[in-house]
Amino acid sequence: MARGFRLSSELVAGVVVGALIGWGFDRLLSTSPFGLIVFFLLGFAAGVLNVIRSAGVAPDRTGR
Amino acid sequence: MIDPIEQFHIEKLFTIGRIGNQEIAFTNSSAYMLVSVALISLLMIGTGRRLVPGRLQSVAEISYEFVANTIRSSAGSEGMKFFPLVFSIFMFVCVSNMIGIIPYTFTISSHIIVTAALALLVFFTVLIYGFYKNGLKFFKLFVPSGIPIVILPLVVLIEIISFLSRPISHSVRLFANMLAGHITLKVFASFVTMLGAMGLIGWAGAVLPLGLTVALTALELLVAFLQAYVFTILTCIYINDAIHPGH
Repeated sequence: MARGFRLSSELVAGVVVGALIGWGFDRLLSTSPFGLIVFFLLGFAAGVLNVIRSAGVAPDRTGR
Repeated sequence: MIDPIEQFHIEKLFTIGRIGNQEIAFTNSSAYMLVSVALISLLMIGTGRRLVPGRLQSVAEISYEFVANTIRSSAGSEGMKFFPLVFSIFMFVCVSNMIGIIPYTFTISSHIIVTAALALLVFFTVLIYGFYKNGLKFFKLFVPSGIPIVILPLVVLIEIISFLSRPISHSVRLFANMLAGHITLKVFASFVTMLGAMGLIGWAGAVLPLGLTVALTALELLVAFLQAYVFTILTCIYINDAIHPGH
């Protein structure tokens, strides 16, 4: 259970932060809905990156 | 059915004062925070300084060694600068989780605002110290080496989002584990009373959830310590990024 929470919270956190940035971007620059779309996808990528890193599959940073 | 959420209710004990229109209340949550801090102080200050340590002094010394080793292994000896912060976080989370296992008590870290405050404290410590120590080189954290220039902007954006999502996953992890554990415990324990009300057959059936409750309590004890440790080790990893960005 602990491991499941760890990985899922990483993924969700990435997506949520991406969506929030996109939403704020749209509000400030009135580019709705493109900011949300782009940053949501980027957030998803960041979430997957987080999951892979915390699962220990990939090295923490490239070149380290 | 017994309400499994009821244990997380925050009750106002008395009012300390007001800031503007906002009432500053002393709640049961604050009371338990105070109790954990008092217990930690008692353990660390009140257990003596003998050369041959007694039992409680050993606990204090072991916890010091444990946190110090964690910091040294994940952030290097430079990370020992942050020992007071990391040790406070570890002891606070660990002791308050342990108190939360005792029946009829309140678990502080089952409220996301508490864990979020701790995670944000770490996050801003990393940001401020990172910029103070490394200046603009801190941005190297977002630029992994050996990436073709064509996809670099994309990777940097993803790295920035990944960095910003840290306090969220950092806080949600501890909060979700404590919340889910305590709800599971309460649900299984309420099965015992519900079956017990059904007479003799119910009594026989209640043995199973009772055994599970005992087992789950042991598991929760492990989770309480483990989550405090995970919170600490993540803190160390983030602090390591502030000390050595882009290595």
